[in-house]
Amino acid sequence: MITKKINKKDIRKLLGTWNQECSVIVPTREQGIVEMAGWDNKDISFLDWYRNTVVPPKACFLPQSEVMISFQKKENGLKIEVPQDEHKQIIFGIRPCDARAVAIIDQVFADTYDDYYYSSKRRNTLLIGLSCSNPYDSCFCTSTDVNPTESEDVDLMFMDIGDEYVIEEITSGGKALLNTSSMIKKATKADINKAKEVRAASVDKLKKKVDTKDVDRKLQSCFNDIDYWEQVSAKCISCGICTFLCPTCFCFDINDEMIKKHGARYRGWDSCSFRSYTKMPMENPREEKWRRVRQRVCHKFEFYPMNLGINACTGCGRCIRLCPVNWDITQVIAGLPGEISVHSGK
Amino acid sequence: MWLKMFEPSGPTTCLVMKVSDMEKELRQEAGKLLEEGTVDYIIGFAPGSLKFTTTPLITEDIDEINNLVINPFINNNLAKYLPEIPGRVGIIAKGCDSRSIVSLIQDKQIARQDIVILGIPCSGLVDLKKVEKLAGKERDKIDDIVVLADKVCITAGGEKKEVPTTEVLFDHCLGCELQIPKEYDFLIQEPAAEIRDYESSSKQIQELKKMSPDQRWAFWKEQFGHCIRCYACRQVCPACFCERCFVEESQPRWVSPVSQWQDNLIFQAIRTIHVAGRCTDCGECERVCPVNIPLRSLSKEMYDLVGEMFDYKTGMDVNAPALMTAYELVEAEGLIR
Repeated sequence: MITKKINKKDIRKLLGTWNQECSVIVPTREQGIVEMAGWDNKDISFLDWYRNTVVPPKACFLPQSEVMISFQKKENGLKIEVPQDEHKQIIFGIRPCDARAVAIIDQVFADTYDDYYYSSKRRNTLLIGLSCSNPYDSCFCTSTDVNPTESEDVDLMFMDIGDEYVIEEITSGGKALLNTSSMIKKATKADINKAKEVRAASVDKLKKKVDTKDVDRKLQSCFNDIDYWEQVSAKCISCGICTFLCPTCFCFDINDEMIKKHGARYRGWDSCSFRSYTKMPMENPREEKWRRVRQRVCHKFEFYPMNLGINACTGCGRCIRLCPVNWDITQVIAGLPGEISVHSGK
Repeated sequence: MWLKMFEPSGPTTCLVMKVSDMEKELRQEAGKLLEEGTVDYIIGFAPGSLKFTTTPLITEDIDEINNLVINPFINNNLAKYLPEIPGRVGIIAKGCDSRSIVSLIQDKQIARQDIVILGIPCSGLVDLKKVEKLAGKERDKIDDIVVLADKVCITAGGEKKEVPTTEVLFDHCLGCELQIPKEYDFLIQEPAAEIRDYESSSKQIQELKKMSPDQRWAFWKEQFGHCIRCYACRQVCPACFCERCFVEESQPRWVSPVSQWQDNLIFQAIRTIHVAGRCTDCGECERVCPVNIPLRSLSKEMYDLVGEMFDYKTGMDVNAPALMTAYELVEAEGLIR
């Protein structure tokens, strides 16, 4: 529920106040690449140009590579250190699609056991959502149950209504961020009405749509339709763009590095699109390209619903607009053979 | 010639495109190949799902032939797919693609008799990043891009801008050395507009050369700090046809799988050396990089070095021995006996 508001002019001051207490992460742009990175304590121009990041915010919790343990060979054995990172941070400007994605992988990293590296960063982070009214033509969030102007997956939700942002207080942690600030005003009835208009208009801007109803069932029934998977995977070049830059893909690989007596164990992003995926422990069971493509689609739209009752696609559209060959997941979903078909052989 | 398909009166956006005479001819020929069973597959370009994009079309279905398009956004170097597609294949090829196809034949990755090359003349492809910069808007906010022989009209947000075509073509297209395939089975007989700007084509490389070694090192250090090791540059490259890539080898290990700038740089440096004599300067590595690393500065420099040192142009002659894999005894120079 919208309760508060802030004038756009005051955003710099607000971020500045927060920046004294913890690190503030905002959308930043370097040679055309937008990602979430530390705020320089002055530039808020992103409020004008920012649409969404290229590198999804998952990188704040699951960095592309990170040290799990560092070790040193001593005469009497190994000295092992686990990096302790408990610094507090606020991510300002996360879009509803990406906030939902964080909520989705939160479940993964807290599933069978609590993943220290992920959750130590996650529990020390507050998410401030920013409504989206300028989607790309590749965005289809409304087809995946995401509203571009609303989110329950953040601590505070900011919505642009012109000269001001109206604010929804979602969690107590978020609420506390506003308590001490004199810039925060009460939202009026007129503000709330304006927000309603903006909401409707923003949702309307999402032109790309795909029917995701019963997709899990359809995928189940066409799992062995090899002809379909071969056909839709033919143009895929098996690079890692769609998975690395997907806000919900979380696969990682672990590697030890050692130079002389010092070393570290790293983990970094891995991708089921790669032929070398899982080669280290055994073999890749998905040697053929169509199996890897099928895996990515099924993981998002069949296995997730089966295991966690939720689609693992939030319609951010990165995999479509960044794909070197314009492989479009919405077309693959829309084209799924509806009838139950069983393919024998292979 | 693009001029022909973008006649001012016709609809011009990429999605709803007027079927040009070239496309008609191409569809006819490709359809015939499938129908008569000369080939099992056709590889070409179809309209993409987003504005100003195309997508590779790999099909055995005659009904899909009418999706084949030719326009200034047919970026992919389709030669990439040839080694993995079984049977006989009809492939639509621009000049640079045809050079990659020839290179694959020279390297014995594919057999000439399995390939039917449908050559198309190419006047250059539009670099959307350049258009975005000129228009001050991102791709999806641009309404129209009309390419004429010497100028391009960009319409965005009600504003119309006219710029010389040289300002929107890819750098590699501005230095193109083969607009019309030399090796083909069928060629669409149209001239290609000669749009060249050699200076712009190698501007980035010249700028890098002006730097001191320290500055250059700092430049690449920063660039490769952005690399996410998605390997799109390798995957999209027809010259990268190795079954096993050195980067994934663990015994011995050449490059760390951990993404750090040093290893990212080494990966690209070795890849650049590996494609020497195979790279045709098609520019795909740079186009697909999701973090905008100017990879062509490396590959084009290597391309030029190959030309200078060996007087060799990749993929120009299907009967020539491949530069890196063909040896003659006289070459041993006392090192190998």
